[in-house]
This record gives sequence, structure tokens and C-alpha cells, in this order.
Amino acid sequence: MTRADWLLIVVVAGCLPLLYARFWQPAGPANWLEVQAGDGPARVIALSPDRQLDITGPLGDSRIEISGGKARFLSSPCRNKTCIHAGWLDHTGELAACLPNRISIQLLGRHPRFDAMNF
Amino acid sequence: MLRGIVSALLVACLLSGCGRPDEPVFRDRFYALGTLIDLSLYGANPEQQLEASEALALTFNTMHTDWHAWEAGRLAQTNTLLAGGRPFRPEADILALLQAANRLSLQSGGLFNPTIGKLIDLWGFHADEITVLTPPDPTAIQELLALAPSAADVVLEDGQLVSRNPAVQYDLGAFAKGYAIDRGIELLQSLGIAHAIINAGGDLRAIGRHGDRPWRIGIRHPRQAGVLASVELSEDESIFTSGDYERFFEASGQRYHHIIDPRTGYPAGQTVSVTVMHRDAATADAAATALFVAGPDEWTEVARRMGIRYVMLIDRDGVVHMNPAMQSRVRFETDTPEVRLSKPLS
Repeated sequence: MTRADWLLIVVVAGCLPLLYARFWQPAGPANWLEVQAGDGPARVIALSPDRQLDITGPLGDSRIEISGGKARFLSSPCRNKTCIHAGWLDHTGELAACLPNRISIQLLGRHPRFDAMNF
Repeated sequence: MLRGIVSALLVACLLSGCGRPDEPVFRDRFYALGTLIDLSLYGANPEQQLEASEALALTFNTMHTDWHAWEAGRLAQTNTLLAGGRPFRPEADILALLQAANRLSLQSGGLFNPTIGKLIDLWGFHADEITVLTPPDPTAIQELLALAPSAADVVLEDGQLVSRNPAVQYDLGAFAKGYAIDRGIELLQSLGIAHAIINAGGDLRAIGRHGDRPWRIGIRHPRQAGVLASVELSEDESIFTSGDYERFFEASGQRYHHIIDPRTGYPAGQTVSVTVMHRDAATADAAATALFVAGPDEWTEVARRMGIRYVMLIDRDGVVHMNPAMQSRVRFETDTPEVRLSKPLS
């Protein structure tokens, strides 16, 4: 082994953690909740402290609950309650929407696992 | 020698990720086609972002109005003309839309049937919010089935369209979203955008990449909260899922969903969801519906006829049916379910 070989081993070993961090990012926790009513601008709010928000849409108020870093539709004036049945959002990138009341919520964080959800 | 090695390693590190580039993903959302449209752009400059957002929303809103299945619009006018049974000259964009739907319907053996609008209406699914509480009268279903509307009833003669079956009524609910996404991607590409996702209520087409990696897509679990599986898309690919959880009502403890089997007149009963990956979104959209109707026993045959190469079907017992090519691309994010592999599709 030459000095160059040893140096090569040291440099490659040193780069491994950096490459790991770059390519193997686990989903980071969600930090914020993006709330959008209609086609208006989105509001980005912190996921703490725990609280409830009333967001007004064309049918009335949808109530959003934030608790323990998660968020969900707690109530909504739509008929089918699909938004409420979506349950808690707890991963970065997850989204729920009340289409009739035109309100959507999505969890945001630094390292979303996915760029989009298919369903 | 030593200097050369060190320089090469430093360059390799910089190129492969020791440096963290900015990840400028621009997102915008709007409502159209009865759902939430989500646009993601990677690497577009601010002018492109603004132009793409505005142009896409305008295009989708126009298509929403034109192609609506039960509100007044150009599709409704076309349905009226077809029901009259007399030849008429359709506008080029409507003709292209209907011809694309007809071609896919014929490929699917009629399992994707865009002409059963009357049946969909009878079930009460021609509404933004489902208000029906009971299934339709079986006699009414049988009467509509006996009329047997199909894409083959609509023919083009000397540039004029005519229906040979007055029961034909187009409902493009299983196709328009995909066709619209394709038009949207063409629009983005015409604006010089190379890396984007258009996601219409969970069905999407992606072009390009997210920087130095492919776009990553999570497939939501059809029966519980969270993600069932994930895939990475190639540089121009769509992923569509049809499920029994999207639009439905429940009566006497039974779920009646919106994917109607054109052969029986009732919601297809063997499938919970079907996920299809294909280059163009219109084909993926129609195929997801056709394969849902085909169910666990017939899906491979229909997929072959439609030229589909990647399918994941979940049956009502929770068993995952896949072809080997799909299995090689899917990564389960939960406990791996029971998987039944089909023979290769191609």
C-alpha cells in the first residue's frame, strides 16, 4: 500500500457520512401546516402549540385541529365529511382537502418523504 | 499521482452530494375538474412559475367548464346532438377528446365505457356531493343496460359525428382528468419547463426530475391512514389510482361506489383499488378504471390489450396483485401484504 492508497481510503471513509446524509434522508418531522382557502394565498402556521382553527370557506367554517405535531379536519359544513374521514395527517407532505368548502391543509417539513401523493 | 487522486475525489464529492444544492420547488394549487390541482415545478425561474401557474389554472378551468358531465357546457351540447341521432360537425378539440376516449374504450373491451353517462346519473353520481341514500331501482338499471351504449356506436363520417344509439351519453369522469393533465404537461413544456408534477386530486403525471433524483411518489393505503407503498417515476410518467373510497354512499351496511361495471350496471365488486403507471395520463386514467372493473381474475388480459406495463391491484381481501415489472418498482412502506404475482405483461 502506498501513501496515496491510504489517503484514498481515509478520504473515501470521510465522505461516506456526507453521502449517507445526502442520499438517505429519512422523512423529517413536519414543522408547519399550510392552510389554503379557495384559490387564495396559503397560510403557513406552526404545528405547536396544540390548538383549533376555524377557516372560512363558501359553505361556512371548517375547524382544523392541531395536536401533538399532527393536524386534521375536526368539523366541516360539507355533506359527505370526506375531509374528516381522512383522519390525522402526521407525515410531512400529507394533504387533506374539503373540496365543497374549498379548504386544504398540508403538513410541511424540511425533508418530505414524497414529492406527491397518489390515491 | 496523489494530487490527482485528491482532486478527483473532491470533484466527485462536490458533484455527488457533499455539497447541498438549493432545492427550489415552487408549488401552486387551485380547484378545477371537481378536485384540487397541485402544481410542482423544480428549477423554474420566477417568470416561468408565474406564467405556468396562471396559464395552467386558466386551461384547467376552461376544460372544467367545457367537459363537465352534468352541467351546461360543450360536452353537454355534444351529448344533446348525439342523442338526436343526426350527423354534426364537432369542434376539433371536442372531437379529439371523444376519439381518444373511444379508442381507449375499445382497447379495454368496453370495461372503460365513457358513454354510460345515463347509468352514472341513475346511480346519483352526477353531483358534486352525493346525496342519494339508496341504490337505484333494479328495473331502471336493466332498462339502461339493455340499450347497451358503447363507444362503437359513435362514428365519424366525412368529418361529421353521429351516434347510432340514442342512449349514448358521454361522461368522461374516468378519463377527463388524465386527458387534462396531458394537455397541462404540454402547456408547461411549451413554456420551457422541464421538471414538474401536475397532481389532480391524487392522480398525476411527472416530467423531469427533482434535481439530482427522480420524483418520489407515495401511494396512499386504500383502507387506512398513511402510505402503502412508494415509487420513483421515470422522467415522463403518470401514476393513477382508481379506488372504491373516492366517491360512494352506504346503504344497509353496503358500500356503493362510483366505478360502475358496464356489464352489470352495478359498482364493480371485486376490487378495492388499482394503481397504473404509464407514460400518458389519459391512458393511465382510463386503464385504472378498466382494470378496476376487470378485477383480480381478468386484469392481466385487459392490461395487455391496453398496452399497460405496470399495475398494482388490491382485491377486496387485501391481497395485492402485481406484474413482475411493477413489483420491481414498488417499495412497500408498511408491513408487506400478501402479493400475488402475475405473468409478465409484455
